Amino acid sequence: MLKVTDVKKAYGKFTVLEDINLEVADGEFLAIMGPSGSGKSTLINILGLLDQSYTGEYLLEDKNYQNVSDNELSRIRGDQLGFVFQNFKLLTTYNVYENIEIPLIYSKKAQNNKQELIADVIDKVGLTGKEKNRPSELSGGQQQRVAIARAIVNRPKLIIADEPTGALDSKTSKEIMDIFTKLNKAGTTVIMVTHDSEVAEYAMRTVYIRDGHLYNDEKSVKNHD
Amino acid sequence: MTDKILIAFKSIGKNKNRNFLTMLGIIIGIASVICILAIGDGFAHTVTKGMGNHNTRNKVILQWEPTSDYNTDGGFTQNDASVLEKVPGVDHVKLASSIAEAGAKVSYKTKTASIGLNKQPKNLKLVKGTYFTMTGASNGIYISEDLAHKLFKENAINRLISVDGTIFVVQGIYHISNMNYRPDAYVSKTIFKQLFASQISRDQAKLYVQPDANKKQVGKTAVKRMKAMGEQKQTGKYSVSNPDAISKQFTRILNDITYFIAFIAGISLLIAGIGVMNVMYITVSERRKEIGIRRAFGATSSDIRNQFLIESVVLCIIGGVIGIILGYILVSIINAFLPFKADITSYAIILSLSVSTAVGLIFGFIPSNKAAKSELVGLLKEE
Ligand SMILES: Nc1ncnc2c1ncn2[C@@H]1O[C@H](COP(=O)(O)OP(=O)(O)OP(=O)(O)O)[C@@H](O)[C@H]1O
Ligand SMILES: [Mg+2]
Repeated sequence: MLKVTDVKKAYGKFTVLEDINLEVADGEFLAIMGPSGSGKSTLINILGLLDQSYTGEYLLEDKNYQNVSDNELSRIRGDQLGFVFQNFKLLTTYNVYENIEIPLIYSKKAQNNKQELIADVIDKVGLTGKEKNRPSELSGGQQQRVAIARAIVNRPKLIIADEPTGALDSKTSKEIMDIFTKLNKAGTTVIMVTHDSEVAEYAMRTVYIRDGHLYNDEKSVKNHD
Repeated sequence: MTDKILIAFKSIGKNKNRNFLTMLGIIIGIASVICILAIGDGFAHTVTKGMGNHNTRNKVILQWEPTSDYNTDGGFTQNDASVLEKVPGVDHVKLASSIAEAGAKVSYKTKTASIGLNKQPKNLKLVKGTYFTMTGASNGIYISEDLAHKLFKENAINRLISVDGTIFVVQGIYHISNMNYRPDAYVSKTIFKQLFASQISRDQAKLYVQPDANKKQVGKTAVKRMKAMGEQKQTGKYSVSNPDAISKQFTRILNDITYFIAFIAGISLLIAGIGVMNVMYITVSERRKEIGIRRAFGATSSDIRNQFLIESVVLCIIGGVIGIILGYILVSIINAFLPFKADITSYAIILSLSVSTAVGLIFGFIPSNKAAKSELVGLLKEE
């Protein structure tokens, strides 16, 4: 699915990521763990083609996107990737249906069967009957379901989730993780940031970030210390 | 496209008060534009219609005015006409009268009155009697209500009156309103020609000029020659009459008003534009999170630019439509005070909508561009 080679990212003199090497196979479910401020969000922004200012090489499906046009980047983001952000990031003045519809507005993929696709993902995340509700009328878990529905409505190959359970209690977290597991079983590659090791258990593999460096297991992190 | 316009309406609806205040400038500006165009069009329409009547294009009109009020007889003679025909550039000359009616003395029994009299018009509304076109040397006469009151205590129909010694039968009575000038009596065309036409002083000479003639020059020369050789030069003055003078002065006033309104329109539209720009800047910075989300889910930067441009244009067009309605109301009010009818043409409406669109595009462009060019990672950090 993707391959990261010697990626480095710095804000001025402050280096956030250094010598990042990572390979993710099709159909994998990867967890990225690390303390706050370690660069997790920074890394997945690069993986999700949201951030192009880094050095090193990043290939998504064998293609380098660092120098492509804004139009093409946007098209890939809309059609191939699905984001679940920290703190849901829903539009508060739009209802559930309209929030989920956003990726379809900009995609050429689905123009005729929009309603069908939206009804389908609403059913998948268990929000049937809440279509007309605003995010403020939903619980945190329900809001996260809306965010997931929005991420998967365009049937992306890769889902990138930043702390999808960060704001949820353990019972709700489990329900959300069940949805991710199901999606992954159905063939979608999932990359998920979390600082909860229980949540990381749902993934096939976990990598660790500490001070901008990536480690493949917790032991090596400790050795580094 | 329709869904994008709907999004724009929705976003605008979320800040009704703020957006309405922003629209005020456009509303005033567009209402002014509508008023200017309506007055201008209405006036141009009236003037061109009037021009058709005067048909002053191929002639110069010479006017004779008596120097004393007591001596109103006079004007141009046939000799004068031949002199004028020799003025370079003149093709032929016709003598006419600016006052189309003849003066006469009318009496009934012991009562007498001085009246103005003319040949009967095609149609006339009577308050008494029946109106018809009298043929040949008919001695019927139609008189005004006022004259009837002066001469008779009661019923005037079929009574015999003497006009300059000729006997006429009263056929009907008409009312003269304040709005319409009419002479005191009408007689048949034939009788008027036979008995009264010669009295009318020919105080106008119409010089029909050759196509390439300089009308100003012709007028000057003609007045000069009349001053030297005119048969009535002792009792009156000769001048070139200018039927456009009144309308010219009127045009000048109207132009002043038009410039003033155009100035208001321009200023309001400029202020409106700055207001639109300001409100769009505010909108863009308030909605950084929304922009980030849309971008992350496939919106290109031009999608974002277009979204905000459409919003700015929709805002301005709503203002424009309200402005057109306000303009319509204002024009209806103005019409009550104008001597002609100001009209809102479809051209004015199209122009107003185009101006609104242009304001939205021009002043919405920079904020929309800012929205489109914002860095994505930064946008996604907004809450
Ligand atoms: N625009 C920026 N300019 C300078 N430094 C930045 C900028 N954005 C992020 N950083 C720094 O980069 C580092 C990594 O940030 P990042 O958001 O990736 O952390 P994180 O691992 O996602 O933390 P958290 O778990 O709290 O979300 C932080 O130290 C942060 O201060
Ligand atoms: Mg983070």
